[in-house]
Amino acid sequence: MAPPGVADAELIARVVVHDDRHAFSELVRRYQSPIRATLRRMTAGNHALADDLAQETFLLAYRNLKSFRHEARFPTWLHRIATNAFLADARKRKEELLGDRDGDVVDDEDGDGLDAGGAGDSHERAASLKLDLERAMATLSEAERAAIVQCYHNDLTHEEAAYVLDCPVGTVKTHVLRAKQKLKLRLAAWNPEPDATA
Amino acid sequence: MNSDPTMNTRPAADPANWLDSALAADGGSHRDAYLDDAGFTARVMAVLPAPATLPAWRKPALSVLWAVAGLGAALALPTAATDVARELFRLAAHPVSLLEIGAAIAALGAISWAGAAYVLRHD
Repeated sequence: MAPPGVADAELIARVVVHDDRHAFSELVRRYQSPIRATLRRMTAGNHALADDLAQETFLLAYRNLKSFRHEARFPTWLHRIATNAFLADARKRKEELLGDRDGDVVDDEDGDGLDAGGAGDSHERAASLKLDLERAMATLSEAERAAIVQCYHNDLTHEEAAYVLDCPVGTVKTHVLRAKQKLKLRLAAWNPEPDATA
Repeated sequence: MNSDPTMNTRPAADPANWLDSALAADGGSHRDAYLDDAGFTARVMAVLPAPATLPAWRKPALSVLWAVAGLGAALALPTAATDVARELFRLAAHPVSLLEIGAAIAALGAISWAGAAYVLRHD
């Protein structure tokens, strides 16, 4: 089995040249956490679906490893595959996964989570905001959520996010801008200066 | 994650920042969290396509072919050597026309190219 210190490039070469399964399993072990976590975010917390997509991601990576030209870092390339898998799956099963949520971002019919709530201590407020943020993220379109996840959760630049999302940089910026507008509306109760953004 | 102090940062000067701060803090906690493998790698390895293996009969069949080729060469070479020596002697004893030389060069070239193509095909 490949020791943990072996560089990605060497493991990739072993897989490509010798079909070394141990080397590939080491790559999966290294990157399963960020890929699965990203997909969990993009699927709005659907862990089972996220793990299925993560499995598909690594399977596609294995099949296409020969075409990996190191034009991006290996984990970035994996995130690109994962994002494509997510977007393709979302298109396929949009109605079951998220429903038609794009048009009703300001609606909060249940009304039980998106108020700042006058929570007491800072930990409670942080937890409450985190929960509201997750709910609000679920109301974004798949492309907007993917852009936010890549730019904020994976801390990618717009250019890197454009590579991962396989779209122009301008499109990424537009998705991020629209997503933030929706999030601001959805999380209006958390705005310390509501009048300023009204 | 709840202990992240930036989660509650709400700069009054720029109301837009509170969302950026919340997203950044949420992203930070996301990056710091490690998901335990919990059998995930094993599941991925289980669904990989089976490794391409050569059929079991290929190795013995190749061995037999090499043995037959070796035996044929061993039987043919002694007579071939005398034939070559006789032909060389005949060529040396009799003048050769330009046409014959050209034909011999063409034949040798063809044999060389065929051999090279055969070797490259196997590489």
